[in-house]
Amino acid sequence: MSWDKFVLENRAELQFNVSSAEMDTFRILSGDTNPLHADDAYARTLGFDSKVVFGALIVAKISALIGAHIPGRGGVWTGLRIDFRKPLYPGETVTLTGTIDSKSDAARMLTLKLRADTLDKCIATGSAEAVFRGDD
Amino acid sequence: MTESEIFSRLTDIFHDVFDDDDIELTPDMTAEDVDEWDSLSHIRLIVAAEREFGVSFSSAEVANLENVGQFVALILARNTD
Repeated sequence: MSWDKFVLENRAELQFNVSSAEMDTFRILSGDTNPLHADDAYARTLGFDSKVVFGALIVAKISALIGAHIPGRGGVWTGLRIDFRKPLYPGETVTLTGTIDSKSDAARMLTLKLRADTLDKCIATGSAEAVFRGDD
Repeated sequence: MTESEIFSRLTDIFHDVFDDDDIELTPDMTAEDVDEWDSLSHIRLIVAAEREFGVSFSSAEVANLENVGQFVALILARNTD
């Protein structure tokens, strides 16, 4: 991919869902033992339908979007802002979209608008910055 | 916009990018004068300046800059285009 191929409003998307097994793996990896992400009954006492997916696992998919799709190879992720708007539950299918919102030729940096949706709700919005150091 | 206004706003950008409020910009300052001024912080400076002043630079313009004074001059020229 060359720098000139990146055009404003171009977008990339990926779909994913998070399983309970992946939740268990991330709990061990991160050390985040909050029962909100492990115990359905506890999560319901806090007003949720069931245990809630770790927000960091949504961020992990943003990493995949940036590292493998836009800008992909040659990209260096340098910034992230994210708002978690609705809870994501294990097994729900998410469509994560990154859209080129601005482009600095001088810095070879892309700013992406980010949005993550399930079939019926927007679970997260934000923005990310990535520098492109790939070949022209 | 005056040169001193640009220096003032650029100073705020430097303080933010390097997380150091003690940095005092001078026209002859270069990357050699700031310990944390590496390639990624350089990119942050450029992008932050583009946003702050509402301008875009080319890679050639940025590559040719030799010091902060030339950066301020570039911003000033772009604002009076």
